[in-house]
Amino acid sequence: METQRSLVWRVWDWLDGRYQVASIVDGLLHVDIPRTARTYYFGGITLFFFIVQAITGILLALYYQPSADRAYDSILFIMNRVNFGWLIRSIHSWGANLMILFCVLHLLRIFFQGVYKAPREITWVMGALLLAVTLGFGFTGYLLPWDQRAYWATTVGTEIAGAVPIAGPPLIVLLRSGSEVTARTLSRFFGVHVLVLPASLLALLAIHLTLVHVQGLADPRRRVEPEGEVVAGSAPLARPEQPKRNLLPFFPNYVLDEVIAWYIMLAILIVLASLFPAGLEEPADPLLTPEHTKPEWYFLFLYQGLKVVPRIVGVLLPMVGAIVLLVLPFIDRNPHLAANKRPIAIGIGVVSLIGIIAFTIWGWLS
Amino acid sequence: MEEKYQPDGSPDTQGVKMGRRRLITYLLGFSVVATVAGVLTPIIGYLWPPSQAAAGEGGRVQVGTTADFPVGQGKVVPVNDKAVIVVNTAQGGIKAFSAICTHLGCIVEWDQARQFILCPCHDGRFNAVNGAVISGPPPAPLPQLVLVVEDDAVYVGEG
Repeated sequence: METQRSLVWRVWDWLDGRYQVASIVDGLLHVDIPRTARTYYFGGITLFFFIVQAITGILLALYYQPSADRAYDSILFIMNRVNFGWLIRSIHSWGANLMILFCVLHLLRIFFQGVYKAPREITWVMGALLLAVTLGFGFTGYLLPWDQRAYWATTVGTEIAGAVPIAGPPLIVLLRSGSEVTARTLSRFFGVHVLVLPASLLALLAIHLTLVHVQGLADPRRRVEPEGEVVAGSAPLARPEQPKRNLLPFFPNYVLDEVIAWYIMLAILIVLASLFPAGLEEPADPLLTPEHTKPEWYFLFLYQGLKVVPRIVGVLLPMVGAIVLLVLPFIDRNPHLAANKRPIAIGIGVVSLIGIIAFTIWGWLS
Repeated sequence: MEEKYQPDGSPDTQGVKMGRRRLITYLLGFSVVATVAGVLTPIIGYLWPPSQAAAGEGGRVQVGTTADFPVGQGKVVPVNDKAVIVVNTAQGGIKAFSAICTHLGCIVEWDQARQFILCPCHDGRFNAVNGAVISGPPPAPLPQLVLVVEDDAVYVGEG
């Protein structure tokens, strides 16, 4: 007697008979990755935090009221009256910090492994832009609670932009929608935070992931032969009968590890949100600057730099750094991946990293 | 535990009560269901809006003074975010009804010339003394609300 297939499989067959979903899923999942690839799952974890931010952000937007009169009260309402409101907002707050942290860790991993080099230049550029968008999320989101910390961190933060030579003063007006941080700044930041940046991030992410998928994960142990280097991934080059012994299937091997990593991150997120829920200070008062006004930790090095070096250096140096970071694969033409064969890049990277960490700690303690 | 195998090499699950493979499948399924439930519970709880706190004692709100409601006139006023019509007629005195039409939820108004409560959407007409339907599509009378006059102050409660 022939047993009937389950409903799920019959729906699957119905879809596959019409849209060839099996071949689509096969193309997405059944790619090979180098056995020696070491990603530490940082990119995937960043993606996980983005998903968390998207869900909790949408939920917050359902109660949040983006006006100077109502913003603070609506946050109080979310924290005190809405079921699980404190949890959703605290997860959004912690998720933002962790997303930036893992975005940076992902960047450092790529940098020190040297895998941004040919043929992955565009993937790197998209990744650098994704970091910029992520920082933009942090910067615009910080103002939305409209408490004293939000207001003054934004005042100080936009002031940094004003230090840019020539373009500074108009840039400040553009950012603040006026010369001061006002209710109009709040509208502008809200619109950018919930419309402009999500759309930008999705577009960049689509390109970033498509490129990763086409080329497969980089093998940091590969020898210098960029022409024939593409052996993993879904590109036609990767498909001819390669010896499979140095490759691992993306599914299920890598996916399983990634899911475990996501579970751990979810647990960390819930523990942090529960033990250290997001706070709220006094309502924003444009006439009273509180003591110890500082930006968020990821902007502290900029803030501290501006305090101790001449203004022009404190602004231009990070700008040059950002541009170098963006077009790094086109500047660094050294084809080697091994750290001992690229002393200049590694040296500059280590010095910059130590400098940023030192200035962050200095800014934290000051 | 000894496992039996079928001729084609696959484990014989008929012979043992719970195969290793099936146990793992159940555990995996349980984990997935537990995760989905754990994530959805706060989200659904969050989406359900918290109940509005009633203003003051027993939800009673002052809507004006007696001078605001002279005989032969009516006025729509807000009470705890809800529209209420306060009418003062020679026959019935000062009374409060829900201003939400029982037909499709439009807000009724006072028809000064003809001295009844009128719903402008579909010409539903209500008696200003007891809220009963005079004519039109409304299926039920307007619910009457508690109205108290203390000194000059006019209070309307939801009860």
